[in-house]
Amino acid sequence: MSGLRSFVARRLLLGVAQTVAVVLLVFALTEALPGDAAVALAGDQPDPARIAAIREAMHLDRPAYERLADWATGLFHGDLGTSLTSGRPVGQYIADGFGPTLLLATLTVALLVPIGFGLGVLAARHEGRLADRLISSVTLAVYAVPEFALGVLLVTVLALRLGWLPPTAVGYGTDLLGHPAALVLPVLVLLSRPVCSLSRLVRAGMIDALASPYVAQARRYGISGTRIRYAHALPGALAPAVQQLARTVDWLLSGVIVVEALYVIPGLGTVLLNAVAERDVPVVQGLAVVFGVLTVVLNLGADLVAHRLAPRAAVAA
Amino acid sequence: MNHTDDTTGEARDTTVAPVAEIRNLRVEVGGRAIVDGVSLKALPGKVTALVGASGSGKTTTGLALLGEYPSGAHVTGDVRLAADGLAGYIPQHPATALNPARRVSALLTDIARAQVRHLPRGRRRTAARERVLRALAEAQVPDAEILLRRYPHQLSGGQQQRVVLAQALLLGARVVVADEPTTGQDALTKSRVVDQLAAVAARGIGVVLLSHDLDVVRVLADEVIVMRAGRVVESGPAHRLWLAPQHEWTRELLSGQPEFTEPETATGSGTAPGAGRPALRIRDLTARHRNSTRGTTEVLRLTGLDLRAGESLAVVGRSGSGKTTLARCLAGLHRDHDGEILLDGTPLPRSLRDRGRAQLAAVQYVFQDARASFDEHRPVLHQVARTAIRLRRTETSAATQEALATLTGLGLPEDLVRRRPGQLSGGELQRAALARALLARPRVLICDEITSGLDSITRRGILGILTTLLHDRDDLSLVLITHDLDTAALAHRIAVLDAGELVEQGPARRVLSTPSHPFTVSLMETTTRLGAGTGT
Amino acid sequence: MTKRGHMTKLRTARFALGVTIVIVPLVLALLGPLFAGEPGPRTTSFTVGDGHWLGTDFVGRDVWQQVLHGGRPVVLTALAATALSYLVALPVGLVSALTHRRWLEELLMRPLDVLLAVPSLLLILLAATVFSPDPVGLALLVALVNVPDAARLVRAAATEAAARPAVEALRMQGETWWRMAVDYVGRSMLRTLVADAGTRLTGVLYLVATAAFLGVGVAPDAADWAVMVDRNRTGLFVQPWAVVAPALLIVALTMGTNLLFDAALSDDRLSERVRGEKLPDATRTLRDGARSEART
Repeated sequence: MSGLRSFVARRLLLGVAQTVAVVLLVFALTEALPGDAAVALAGDQPDPARIAAIREAMHLDRPAYERLADWATGLFHGDLGTSLTSGRPVGQYIADGFGPTLLLATLTVALLVPIGFGLGVLAARHEGRLADRLISSVTLAVYAVPEFALGVLLVTVLALRLGWLPPTAVGYGTDLLGHPAALVLPVLVLLSRPVCSLSRLVRAGMIDALASPYVAQARRYGISGTRIRYAHALPGALAPAVQQLARTVDWLLSGVIVVEALYVIPGLGTVLLNAVAERDVPVVQGLAVVFGVLTVVLNLGADLVAHRLAPRAAVAA
Repeated sequence: MNHTDDTTGEARDTTVAPVAEIRNLRVEVGGRAIVDGVSLKALPGKVTALVGASGSGKTTTGLALLGEYPSGAHVTGDVRLAADGLAGYIPQHPATALNPARRVSALLTDIARAQVRHLPRGRRRTAARERVLRALAEAQVPDAEILLRRYPHQLSGGQQQRVVLAQALLLGARVVVADEPTTGQDALTKSRVVDQLAAVAARGIGVVLLSHDLDVVRVLADEVIVMRAGRVVESGPAHRLWLAPQHEWTRELLSGQPEFTEPETATGSGTAPGAGRPALRIRDLTARHRNSTRGTTEVLRLTGLDLRAGESLAVVGRSGSGKTTLARCLAGLHRDHDGEILLDGTPLPRSLRDRGRAQLAAVQYVFQDARASFDEHRPVLHQVARTAIRLRRTETSAATQEALATLTGLGLPEDLVRRRPGQLSGGELQRAALARALLARPRVLICDEITSGLDSITRRGILGILTTLLHDRDDLSLVLITHDLDTAALAHRIAVLDAGELVEQGPARRVLSTPSHPFTVSLMETTTRLGAGTGT
Repeated sequence: MTKRGHMTKLRTARFALGVTIVIVPLVLALLGPLFAGEPGPRTTSFTVGDGHWLGTDFVGRDVWQQVLHGGRPVVLTALAATALSYLVALPVGLVSALTHRRWLEELLMRPLDVLLAVPSLLLILLAATVFSPDPVGLALLVALVNVPDAARLVRAAATEAAARPAVEALRMQGETWWRMAVDYVGRSMLRTLVADAGTRLTGVLYLVATAAFLGVGVAPDAADWAVMVDRNRTGLFVQPWAVVAPALLIVALTMGTNLLFDAALSDDRLSERVRGEKLPDATRTLRDGARSEART
């Protein structure tokens, strides 16, 4: 048991270090601006008033470590700073965009788990037969396709040609739940990559387990096929799948940014893209910290769950 | 291929009906017969041993009793199991048969569940648990309650083996197939396994033992079937086979150990020619292992040990006793140690990287896993010759000639050694590994368990080579790391390690005949017991 | 037919499929610019026909001509980024695996562990806010986000190879560092590396295209399949070909690459041969059908 405790402690420590590093990295990147940061950020309109405003807003006249200390203290208290363009608090930007993004993410994960496991188990059960070959080939093919390309093709076919679904969520604002049809395409596109990776992993894990000496022994001793599949082989496939689930958070994030841009959904991704386009550094910083910490926490959780599921498997910490 | 429950027919001539029977089995894979014309009977309470080198088809035959065949196999012949047709299986590594993601209780309850189906739903749970606990008690598992809550990887090797056995007992198996249960185990573990299998047979279960470990077969078997290249060479009651083997191959298999150092040199004082001049001295050696979770653990503490020129020293002990660490310290492969290792009075650098050519050449090491110690992409001859090129500055052509001569001397033909390691057998590669070390013209040759995992005939060949070496090169000293006292008996001197401490050392004769340390005594007793059948 | 033969056949089929799918976008990307010719005069936006095979785009350029030009940046940036990430990951991973100095290993690997925690697209967007990178900058960024993972893989593969008895045997023979590190360790790692390069290239293609779609590392009117998808979306109702053609090409490119590498690298003839030799002792057994039915 001390092994488990020391593993948890080490993994937590790494999580904290990663969080701190994300904060530092985000700050350092904006520090790395060549020349006068304010001039650079003012971009295409180097209007002296704007430059002065930026310098004022970002406290560029003060030494870097003081600004870092201030910013980090603010973060600690939940204060993410103020936007350069609008003067509104960054926290408010995030609060505005949070709803739609959370809805998309929740729906996606809720569908991802049953579909991913279902397809994986189905393929493993029929290893080498038509169902398996079909699932394996399709998941392998779709796995690598960028969401935006798949997204526009689906819009062209399902929304424009066939007219089954609305092409975008324009006009629905943040009230997406009231228009479920508008959610179908975004969720479908968001699911495409994670479902493929998860089902492939579950399939591979189950096939490995089904070929293992311990499953051979269970069969020998007359344990039923169903029980072998779900009580003996599936648990073995579970640990890597849970970790992959956490890794897909990274993809889900990329996916959310693209999907929100593609279907014009006013979520966090749209907020981030607008801020990037306007070079609104505090907003980008705030969002980066939120996303970064979220990724760290989810990965941490997944590693702990995976460690619990397969105590013997060495989880990289 | 059919598994009928009819055992009456031909079985009438024996007084007891066999619990399992194979008649004229032929298993063909890809047009090649890997088992051909094999018949065997497993009688209740008796141990039937299938003996043969690896690849002789004994595993295929054993698995046939369980109704399992290699994928794509074409099978003809009859396999019959007794009335209830239940067969248990004990694999070579018990851990592989236990699902790492499930607790012991789940693993056992799964089997028990099928047997309590006839009971009302409410009573099934307790009934299943009772059965599980009974099976664990029968398999001699202490602290069953604690064990049930553990995962397989939290158990010791012995506990894992008992759980696998409990599974078979829980199943109510009438016949148990044990596949190489003692291969690579030390004497104490072997003795424990032997006890367990004997206890299984005592319960009236038929045991089919697949093994190339003749000591174990000798102690356990009632009936022996000798296999070679998929065919039965000879079979019969164990005592008859041992006393009067009829087939030449059986005679070769059963023939005694090679004459290692039997001549005058080994007897009496236990000193070898050139005695008194120590080639290698070890002073206050302490070695550690680093582990990322548990920190450092001390695995070896030696105050002093000498190796004289021309002498052979066997270092024996159970697995985990620190004997391999000792060997690796000497060879410079284990850097994490304090103390001195003196070669002819000069301290050797701790790490291989800091040793000069002459020092490297002087102390050579032969690995347990010969196959893993060769680069699979280059011909064996080329790799062997590199020793002379690198360590003795020999010209490439001269080195190749020398390597070829040495390899041929060890019984490896030229066309074989020009191939890559993948095309050589384990025994052949072990000879090549010896040649590779010998080309350095070493003062000290360290052999780390180089015969474990080889079948008895191949092992005898390798030990024969070592014997010849000691005779021919009188400046060469040997360090034999082994858990096998039979091998150790061939050395001039024996050092016994237990839990990292040197518990006893002395001339081989003395240690083997009058062991002084309690650990050596227990090691000796189990070995003697295992070897008891030899003279009868 | 044996199971193994079956799998080999399946793999060959998949390989052929991958080649078929990838050939069109790849040829267009590499050779397209040679056949594109001089750009014609700009006409009305989003027209169909009128001498334009695939119509015109959002600023009235010929879509077919844009398609011919637009594959090269995607493919070249992806290839450059993959190569660059190995350029850094190989020495870092090799040194940290083969060194015996603990501090050096920590110094090299720990910062990468931290970088691994940041979602890749986020890191790219973050950098884009500050630097406004050009295509070279994009390649560098994509390479950077791939370094931690690649370095870990190199290190793991090298550590595994270096811990084999074969390396210790080479040490016992007093072999040179070069012969051990490059001849043996390098060679043993090669297969793992090639397989990884395949999956990494698909991942890099994804990232490069997505970043370009989001406007990172490209000019707003660049001839680039991903940019075309983004910019011509406004005319999707009028002139879908300006979006569909580049989108299809990107799908074919990524899909085909993945199928191709998977078929070429998964469990190929090498392991087949090894397994074939061991067949008599094979523990992977099939149960006799009759018996399993009797039991269940």
